[in-house]
Amino acid sequence: MTEKTVFSLQGRHILVTGASSGIGLNICRSIVTSGGKVTGVARRVDLLSEMVKELGEDNASFIEADLASDAGIEKVVAGIPEINGLVHAVGISKLSPLKFIKRQSLEEVMNVNYFSMVLLLAQITRHKKLQRNTNSSVVLISSVAQQIGTKSSLLYTGSKGAMSAASRVIANELSSQKIRVNTIEPGMVQTAMASEMEDVLSKEAIEKDKAQYPLGYGTPEDVANAAIFLLSDASKWMTGQSLTLDGGRYKLLD
Amino acid sequence: MDKNQFLQSFAEQFDDTDPSAITIDTKFKEIDEWSSMIALMIIAMVDENYNKKITGADLRETETIGQLFERLSAK
Repeated sequence: MTEKTVFSLQGRHILVTGASSGIGLNICRSIVTSGGKVTGVARRVDLLSEMVKELGEDNASFIEADLASDAGIEKVVAGIPEINGLVHAVGISKLSPLKFIKRQSLEEVMNVNYFSMVLLLAQITRHKKLQRNTNSSVVLISSVAQQIGTKSSLLYTGSKGAMSAASRVIANELSSQKIRVNTIEPGMVQTAMASEMEDVLSKEAIEKDKAQYPLGYGTPEDVANAAIFLLSDASKWMTGQSLTLDGGRYKLLD
Repeated sequence: MDKNQFLQSFAEQFDDTDPSAITIDTKFKEIDEWSSMIALMIIAMVDENYNKKITGADLRETETIGQLFERLSAK
């Protein structure tokens, strides 16, 4: 990056959770491409090491931690310097019709997708690790699922709905420090997590769903580009918002 | 895996279909009430009762409940 544009992340250090694969990994790549530094968090050391190797040790580092536990969150908060942004991309999905939902699966999905976000941000702000008054930015990867009612998606949808609702409260609480908080709500993105879904559902069901996206399914890069916008000064007047990326799926109806 | 127990659990996923009309030789995708939602119920039932994962291919490549049972038993 030679010329600094309003989309540049030069001089910014961003923490990314769920950094070992899919959307999180692509966001790490885009942060470095945009001139920033990244610290990735995930459980898989081998994949995190590959990420750092790919992006270079001067630009990228990692912390191995399980954000579903308090110990993991403490490890991350203790291991980071003052940062300029956070992208929370860690997430799991599990299809289950309502009548099969049990406390265990509900707690598992809420813990990874929602509790980790709230508890990590609580500790980051308590320890003043997000730089104040310098246009720091928090980007939460939610889902368009939380705007609609896809059958069997309750575990995932409920967790993302909680995330999107909470983001507005957090945005309000942090606004006096000029820390911005926004969510990205993607539709179907081609990732390993989505491939697992394809394995469960029939190919025909996937093809039928895909046909309803005027611009097709998204890629992790599409989501990463939106994350760069939200992390950068290009969006410095934007907080408490949800950015839907769904290739026109839910607003452009035949 | 017990075949009769599987049949009973399979039939329980339907709300509007008389369980007695569902036999081990029933072509399950021809049941009027069959839908993507019922398919998801069957997947969840098999996961819960047998701790086994069935895939879209398992449902697509079998016709009768008995065939699905045999395929699952082999997993």
